[in-house]
Amino acid sequence: METNSFDAIVVGSGMSGGWAAKELTEKGLKTLVLERGRMVKHGDYPTATKDPWDLPFGNRITQDIRHRKPIQTRTGYPTPANEHWFVDDIEHPYVEDEHKFDWLRGYHVGGRSLMWARQSYRFGPLDFEANAKEGVGVPWPVTYDEIAPWYDKVEIFAGISGSKDGLYQLPDGHYLPPHDLNCVEQDFKKTLAAKMDRKLIIGRCANLTAPLTHDESPQRGTCQARNMCIRGCPYGGYFSSVSATLPSAERTGNMTLLPDQIAYELIYDEKKGRATGVRVIDAGTRQQTDYFAKLVFLCASAMGSAYIMLNSKSGRFPNGFGNDSGELGHNIMDHNKPGSSNASVEGYLDMAYTGRWPNGFYIPRYRNVGKDKRDYLRGFGYQGRAQRAGWSRFNDSALVGDELKKALKEAGPWSLGMTAFGEILPNHDNRMWLDPEKKDKFGLPLLVVNASVRENERKMEKDMLGDAAEMLEAAGYKNVVVKSDSYNVGNSIHESGTARMGNDPKKSVLNKFNQVHACKNVFVTDGSFMPSFGCQNPSLTYMAFTARAVDHAVSESKKGNL
Amino acid sequence: MIERRELLRRAAWILGGTISAPAALAILQGCSAKKSPGVEVLYLPKFMTDGSMFEVVSEIAEIMLPKTDTSGAKDAGVPIFIDTALDAIYDPESQQRFRAGYADFEASARSAGRKPFLEQEPAARAAFVKTSLETALAGDREPKPFILVTRELVLLGYFTSKPGITENMTYEAVPTAYHGCVPVAQMKTPAYWE
Repeated sequence: METNSFDAIVVGSGMSGGWAAKELTEKGLKTLVLERGRMVKHGDYPTATKDPWDLPFGNRITQDIRHRKPIQTRTGYPTPANEHWFVDDIEHPYVEDEHKFDWLRGYHVGGRSLMWARQSYRFGPLDFEANAKEGVGVPWPVTYDEIAPWYDKVEIFAGISGSKDGLYQLPDGHYLPPHDLNCVEQDFKKTLAAKMDRKLIIGRCANLTAPLTHDESPQRGTCQARNMCIRGCPYGGYFSSVSATLPSAERTGNMTLLPDQIAYELIYDEKKGRATGVRVIDAGTRQQTDYFAKLVFLCASAMGSAYIMLNSKSGRFPNGFGNDSGELGHNIMDHNKPGSSNASVEGYLDMAYTGRWPNGFYIPRYRNVGKDKRDYLRGFGYQGRAQRAGWSRFNDSALVGDELKKALKEAGPWSLGMTAFGEILPNHDNRMWLDPEKKDKFGLPLLVVNASVRENERKMEKDMLGDAAEMLEAAGYKNVVVKSDSYNVGNSIHESGTARMGNDPKKSVLNKFNQVHACKNVFVTDGSFMPSFGCQNPSLTYMAFTARAVDHAVSESKKGNL
Repeated sequence: MIERRELLRRAAWILGGTISAPAALAILQGCSAKKSPGVEVLYLPKFMTDGSMFEVVSEIAEIMLPKTDTSGAKDAGVPIFIDTALDAIYDPESQQRFRAGYADFEASARSAGRKPFLEQEPAARAAFVKTSLETALAGDREPKPFILVTRELVLLGYFTSKPGITENMTYEAVPTAYHGCVPVAQMKTPAYWE
């Protein structure tokens, strides 16, 4: 038992787990990090330097990938270049109830921090105040001012590039120099400002456009504009737990990182009223082991952490760990993505760009901001880019021979495309639970999900698609096409909300420090804790809340309160 | 008598799929096989096994992207790419449609030129490919007709090959930085691999 005891256990090694590991170990705690998937160390990126001709089948999704990863491929992501980061759905099943649910997973050290899109926005006062003002879900127990210093901390460490834009709905942070907008994007920005009083800004992204402003990550270099981030970056050009937080934790000498360990239950001591550790099954040998610690951080993703809690039943917690409120596993959110838009842009044929940027432009939320009032709550933002067409513009063309080869040596015309990401309101009926009968190959119950978009989201969709057409037409662009797509919750890979925080223990699972209301030495700091979801990409917010939760946990622990 | 092509295919198969023409010829000592012009590699097709499908699609590819000051489709390995891609990427229904589309293409080429496609003069073949493209583009494109699927694969194969990319456009494995507004006149080539 001695060798299985630590000061703290972190379950999960992705975006949140990496931060928990770094902060806990830097504060001197002997920390065990449990990862259910395989080991990955910075540099273990097998396809990272492959040229296009080194990848099979033009890097298209193969039938084999589709057969093994039928859910992962719903996003179009797992290609031969990156499929090793996406789980085998056959091996790791779950149950979709009434609605499809797209659960994108990466079972390896680093989790989805290796494949994330790196867009890094703060939530603002508008987001933190919305639930209370509108009577939706539970009020946020944290204000923007309380979390702002933690945003500062994680932005500086991670290295976020961007511009300061002075927007109330999207607070500025600490940024490395912004990427350039290209000529057409600048044109679009001017139009939106002049004709519609809307802002277009450069994406704020976790790619190093300049050296970090600290010396804590000597393994990281600047972004090389290869735009192959999803394969893992040997230059450390973007933030992931593998490139940044885990190396910091490793250097303290306080981290024990164990891959292939599936945590499935919290061990609860009824007498002490505390969790004493975590029960684990080895993914290879199937051996069960108990690990013990004074502090437990669940960072296993919104579905993963809620799964472990639902699967941890005791006399005190017959309905799942810390589930006095009955909200555990409920209120699943994501970002609604009902379609995309595109238009041809005439002119600018004498201008182009060099390098492959890992970024795009962002149109921050403008609906229900200031004087704007709609017949729905909240809003949406657009992410997009303008580019010159490449060779695929000749797919549907009758040009052949010399003529075609000459034409292919020219740059194609410009087009501009963008996609809206809309806020989904928390709803008790969007939920996950454990299947009472079906089990996976480890003998663990399967997770069941049922979540869908509802009335508010449907109303918002009209603006999400309609505004796009209006803006593209206002800019004078041609062939405006707005395509509506079917969207399954989860498809934006931002699933969240399953163990929301709040001041009222009767209505929420966690308190304002991500601490389980009913068991103070367990913290949940992945997307589970979100009581509402904004329309911004959420990872930066998970990082900030994780760092803050560790600070609270360690100071309370020192005071003898845990 | 076993056909020359079948012999070469078997030889290729024995050696694991792809062998160079001289090596194959050496194995087939005494055989009067000739290397056809432009074909550097002999190959045992995985998917394009019907009749002369592999050869016909190779010719279509070369008609679309011939050898000029830069490599042609055959030199860039496009025929083999198409064969492996059809096998690996396409679902059975699309594969079946491709086979049927090939049979139709062969039949209409024969009725237009009174000879099998491969036996027609190069100019006649090129004209037939061009006409097929124009007809397909004017008609119903859902599902995608054979000639347009082939074209998509020709372009994909060519522009994911080293000669296709590096000889026709600027390719930078490590660009080091992104510059958003660059006059085309200042670029090495107007076409830039993204």
